Amino acid sequence: MSLLIYLVVVSLLLPPANAQSSTVRLALTRDEGWLNPYTYQSGYPGWNIMTLVYDPLFYPDLNNEPIPWLVRDTRVSTDGRTWTLTLRPNIRWHDGRPLTSEDVKFTFEYAAKVTHSRWTPTTRNLDGVDAPNPQTVIFRLKQPDAGFRLRTLADVPILPKHVWEPVTTVAAARAFRNTVGSGPFRVEEVQDGQFYRLSANPQYFAGPVKVREVVLPIIRDATVSFTALQAGQIDANARTLSPELVAQFEKAAGIKVVRGAGFASTILQFNVEHPLLKDARLRRAIAGAINTTLMVRLLMLGYAVVGSPGYLHPDSPFYAQGLKFEGSKAKSVALLNEAGYLDRNRDGIREAQDGTPLQFTLLTLAGNPVRIRGAELIRTALKDVGIGVNIRVAEDAAIIDQVWPEFDVCKGRRFDMAVFGWSAPVMSRPTALVDLFHSNCQIGAINIGGYKNPQLDRLGEQLVVTVDPASQKQLAAEMQKIVAQDLPIHVLFYPDTIMAYRQSAYGRWAFQKGQGYVTKLSFVDPPK
Amino acid sequence: MLWRFFAAKGVQYALVLLFAVTLNFALPRMMPGSPLVFLAGEDVGFMTEAQRAQLYSAFGLDRPVWRQYAIYLGNLARGDLGHSFQQGRPVVEIILSRLRWTVLLVGISLLLATLIGIAWGTAAAWRRGRPLDLASLGGAMLLESTPSFWLAMIFIAVFAAGRGWFPVFGAMTPGAGLSGPAWIFDVAWHLVLPLATLTLVTIPGMFLIMRYSLLTVLGEQYISTARSKGVAERRIMFRHAMRNALLPVSTVFMLNLGYIVSGATVIETVFSYPGLGRLLFEAVLARDYPVLQGTFFIVTVSVILANIAADLVYPLIDPRVRHAR
Repeated sequence: MSLLIYLVVVSLLLPPANAQSSTVRLALTRDEGWLNPYTYQSGYPGWNIMTLVYDPLFYPDLNNEPIPWLVRDTRVSTDGRTWTLTLRPNIRWHDGRPLTSEDVKFTFEYAAKVTHSRWTPTTRNLDGVDAPNPQTVIFRLKQPDAGFRLRTLADVPILPKHVWEPVTTVAAARAFRNTVGSGPFRVEEVQDGQFYRLSANPQYFAGPVKVREVVLPIIRDATVSFTALQAGQIDANARTLSPELVAQFEKAAGIKVVRGAGFASTILQFNVEHPLLKDARLRRAIAGAINTTLMVRLLMLGYAVVGSPGYLHPDSPFYAQGLKFEGSKAKSVALLNEAGYLDRNRDGIREAQDGTPLQFTLLTLAGNPVRIRGAELIRTALKDVGIGVNIRVAEDAAIIDQVWPEFDVCKGRRFDMAVFGWSAPVMSRPTALVDLFHSNCQIGAINIGGYKNPQLDRLGEQLVVTVDPASQKQLAAEMQKIVAQDLPIHVLFYPDTIMAYRQSAYGRWAFQKGQGYVTKLSFVDPPK
Repeated sequence: MLWRFFAAKGVQYALVLLFAVTLNFALPRMMPGSPLVFLAGEDVGFMTEAQRAQLYSAFGLDRPVWRQYAIYLGNLARGDLGHSFQQGRPVVEIILSRLRWTVLLVGISLLLATLIGIAWGTAAAWRRGRPLDLASLGGAMLLESTPSFWLAMIFIAVFAAGRGWFPVFGAMTPGAGLSGPAWIFDVAWHLVLPLATLTLVTIPGMFLIMRYSLLTVLGEQYISTARSKGVAERRIMFRHAMRNALLPVSTVFMLNLGYIVSGATVIETVFSYPGLGRLLFEAVLARDYPVLQGTFFIVTVSVILANIAADLVYPLIDPRVRHAR
């Protein structure tokens, strides 16, 4: 009897969530709307979580190579402009209706009509989508597209036509709560600002889903999210572990730390249109004075890779072998002297020929302590070679307003230099070099420094229509060499992707190179 | 004469409301930065001019500012606070879902802090200059200058992560699907640490006001008279001094009552508590104009209501105001 009472008392005291071993609790950083393709918010982990509920035609594997997902067979015409895809049989929506080529056709036509920043641009090169029979879908492209498989087919989630057809405006789509998808999970519960609860789709076409239930609590504070992991109140965290916590977590019982190359970047962005900074020699001297190896050691405690001057990470399949930035303070001083930047009035700051002092404002985001400390190191380093830097820190939207007004490169820029960075997906596609560096503001959509080089433009225009991987690699290598020469940005480092989880709760996480374990492949094996 | 008083007050409050509502509209739009990324997602850079235009017009941001203002006022009059840019949901729905958590946390904390502050302040004033008073004053100063996020972190480290007595984050166990008494217990269990933190940092203010106010009263002549009449110390304290000394505390309490709905941004953020303070903070970062306007509106209205309540209640507790009118 007393044992029974004891058991009842103990079971009441235990936090209820611990009782379900088949539930995985993965902390998110922020609210992700209703988790459908028009309401999720962040590129990472929002897109990754959304694709637990919806499926694109292809899906990036652990090496970021797109593999067929909803698709069984792919045929590309010799001119690269006609893609004929055959869908797998017996794929069903969560409501039981079959997923057919009509849904695929509808999705791309919908994306073209109802604007979304990620889906709509992928339809720009589409001449049309046909659905000759329920299993076959044909994409007709205006011109061959190097990024079609990764950026379009492995990215755009397929929408159920019968659900989305009546939702015709952007505002309606943004307010639409339906989450009927085809993915391995269904959305069961959405608690505003608190958590999401997803349950496994028992009829998933690709095979059994490895977890019965996924709970996604929203934890705003990074430190608290890792405390919760340590205390066993969550099992995994979409955030990457900050370097100072790595040693502690590696020693902690029951917690496993996974680590690999990170494809996000931390860069020093120059405004190439600035009257002084348009001089590549000055940019080279600035870059040379900054000791990036020291930065990696001091700021990242070694958990980062020193930047490559061609932007792409050495672990990227498109990295130009042997590209390395060589610089030193002595070389920078020599370069500045040679280019005529001298301290004529002996105030410690050099001046240009016309007397303008080499005094710059360096912007950085308030929410990122590592970048603020990086800015401090840059200021100290540049002072040593006679270049003055004022650091200005502000919240994200205020900084973006100066560096990238309205997220539209065509609207110009109002800054000198900024410690900035790009997220991992920018690294995993070769065409990112075009987005980053093409001089036409419509094509170089993230060329926020206003960099121009006609030779690079030509190579870029060639790259976007090249489908053969070997030729892609060659073109990308040539572009990286030009970028390394001109230095429109100086890549400081690539922080490693370090993530932690509780082994006992769930140990089958799959680590996507450069990005982390928040991927569909952590919960389901690729379809055979 | 009473109706004239209320008519004057009514006009006054209506003007304040209009002014505040206008400010609520203007301030978010004066901040640098664009809500575009939250309307369309992170890849806005890749959109064409036409696609951007479609988005701006879908959310009415392409209209001249005065038009937007007129529409905003019209909608407000109909009780429509619009849809969140960020979440797509109706602002009213978001605010209501956050309001209960904030009222629970901040409301209880204000009550507790006021009661404790009054008791503590009285005890200290009674023992003025003695060790208890000096220690209390030092302790209150220390607590007053403690950053709330730091205190919250310490509590989390010691009582949540360290001892495991309380949860680290949230207002309830995510995905547990509890109901009835188990749910109430779960909510209370999650409330302990944020409530303790918020109460602790609110107490010193109440303590200092109460102590100072009581000391002022104790220096009045009628207290000396009472003493010379031979009235008992305890009776002087509770009958003569404390009732008068409570007036400033009740004013502060009333004013704070209005600010309950503005939440406790820092503590709600650290504990991932789904209150209005955190909502407001996130809306600022996202340039979510409708949510900002809606939250500010709720705060404005409740501050005004608290003032009206104070106007009505004050004559009841302070006869001098009643006679002056």
